[in-house]
Amino acid sequence: MGYINTIIILGGINIIAALGVAILTGYTGLFTIGHAGFMALGGYMSAIFVKEFGVPFPIGILLGGTFAGLCSFIIGYPAFRSQLRGDYFAVATLGFSEATRLLLNNTRSMGESINAAESGIGMVFKPIGPLLVKLGGVFGYMSLPSPTNVFVVVVAVILALFFAHMFVTSQYGKNCIAISQDEVAAQMMGVNLLKTKMIALFVSAFYAGVAGGLMAFYFAYLTPSFFTITKSSDLLAAVVFGGIQSLIGPVITGFILVVFPELLRTFAEWRLIIYGFLFVIVMIFRPQGLLGYVEMNFEFARAWWNKIFRRKQNSQEG
Amino acid sequence: MELFIQQLVSGISIGAIYSLLAVGYALVYSVYNFTNWAFDGFMAFGAFMGFTAITSLFMPFWLAALFSIILTVILSVGTEKLAYSPLRVRKAPRLFMMISAMGVNLATVNIINLIYGGVFRKFPVENLQPIFIEGVSIGRMDLMAGGISFGVLALLWVFLYRTKWGLGIRASSIDILTASLMGINNSGVAIVVFAITGVLSSVAGVFYGIKYAVFPMMGIVTIKAMIASIVGGLGSLPAAILGSMILGILETLVSGYISSTYRDLFSFMFLIVILLFFPNGLMGKSSDEKL
Repeated sequence: MGYINTIIILGGINIIAALGVAILTGYTGLFTIGHAGFMALGGYMSAIFVKEFGVPFPIGILLGGTFAGLCSFIIGYPAFRSQLRGDYFAVATLGFSEATRLLLNNTRSMGESINAAESGIGMVFKPIGPLLVKLGGVFGYMSLPSPTNVFVVVVAVILALFFAHMFVTSQYGKNCIAISQDEVAAQMMGVNLLKTKMIALFVSAFYAGVAGGLMAFYFAYLTPSFFTITKSSDLLAAVVFGGIQSLIGPVITGFILVVFPELLRTFAEWRLIIYGFLFVIVMIFRPQGLLGYVEMNFEFARAWWNKIFRRKQNSQEG
Repeated sequence: MELFIQQLVSGISIGAIYSLLAVGYALVYSVYNFTNWAFDGFMAFGAFMGFTAITSLFMPFWLAALFSIILTVILSVGTEKLAYSPLRVRKAPRLFMMISAMGVNLATVNIINLIYGGVFRKFPVENLQPIFIEGVSIGRMDLMAGGISFGVLALLWVFLYRTKWGLGIRASSIDILTASLMGINNSGVAIVVFAITGVLSSVAGVFYGIKYAVFPMMGIVTIKAMIASIVGGLGSLPAAILGSMILGILETLVSGYISSTYRDLFSFMFLIVILLFFPNGLMGKSSDEKL
């Protein structure tokens, strides 16, 4: 039972992060390979809020997500304002996530040098010196509370899916889809490119941050090595295999991509090689992904209901 | 002062390696309108092939470099034929090309990781004595890396601007469809462009391996080349080279005078500052002007 719990929890966390990438890459057409950085920011921030300031766990997670979202503006504003092409935006996200990891790797030595500082720029940061030492750099931020359990994760996934669905069917979501189809045409129709992209990036980073927070409170510790480029590739893989412009597709693949590596531990090192070849094969033979362009709805349920219902009617008539 | 000049020479040689990478990206981008993400995989592949040629096949350095170039060209052209060409024929959106390239990159890097393991290796070249000029020591490898990189770039310039094939590539970069109507062999251009990419990535990989180390994730450095081409100004080869030199020199100065730990942080902050104050990059050409 414990093993199944673990898989459900890790799968659920991956689903939430993958939903974030789906909103940005799937719906807005902005390619990201740095979402692990937002996960790291959200995770560390919510851990700090809960452990150091005693903020209740759900609020801590939301604050962590919001912090990740706000940090996304650091790359979002300059990149979108200068109309950076999609490819180069991806570079900016990758650079951002690597820079975040570099900073987190060195929090301990930074904190120690600030504590030791007598004058100069170190004094400005004096109040956060002890906190930086606690974050522990490469060794990790230890002994966090661990309130994340199956119930919390399932509720979080349902809420995340619900709000993502609301977002992509709202006017903002429609603007995002318009941008992914044709930026110039969208702008002609009065879509504010900068604002829409920033909103999509904020929501996407918020999701990643929430996932990072849940992860922190499941493992009860955090190290920067959780959030490498491999993590970002995994999230991208979930969206590519699940399907462009679909929420339910990335949800399914986001879960499968956690379950399969767990079951096939012996092939762990082959995983990314297989993903790589699958990327190419999927793009050539089924570029829309598993469930590309499939809106999440319950039409299929209605269709089944009608079928059964009508059959009954028919039999009554007959 | 001596330290400064040493850092400057080292920075120029790093900048030269970045410019090889940046030019490789810009070339594919200008013709096919997508970023060849597989490029960093190619770079690692080139470095590892050179490494293997020297350690296992006991080749001399120059032969090993040639061996690595040939294999990387084969990999690059093969990737074009298997992963990009089918998508291009179908006129797939750019996002799909990028994802496909990303897949090639993931597979290449992780196959290398599986075969060689993730450890850092020293590229097996004998330690050349640095040259002393008026008390300033300059590494011979720095000079060689800089010199050869500029040589390769000069050859590329001659090829693009003084030969018929180069004219074909430049025409394709403006409009690939019209170029093919004018009798330019599209698939030939593709093979030549990706072969050039292979040569550039292999040379950059070998020299980067000599300067730092050979390891599967070494291709992550290509992100610097991307930053450099944004800093210089998108869409032109000279701007990419300018940006690379600035970034290379800035990085070595930062790691020499401030801290080598935060070197990458500085280059990323530099990118954000440039984007805020020079949204079109330093040379700021309009993006219609290509090559």
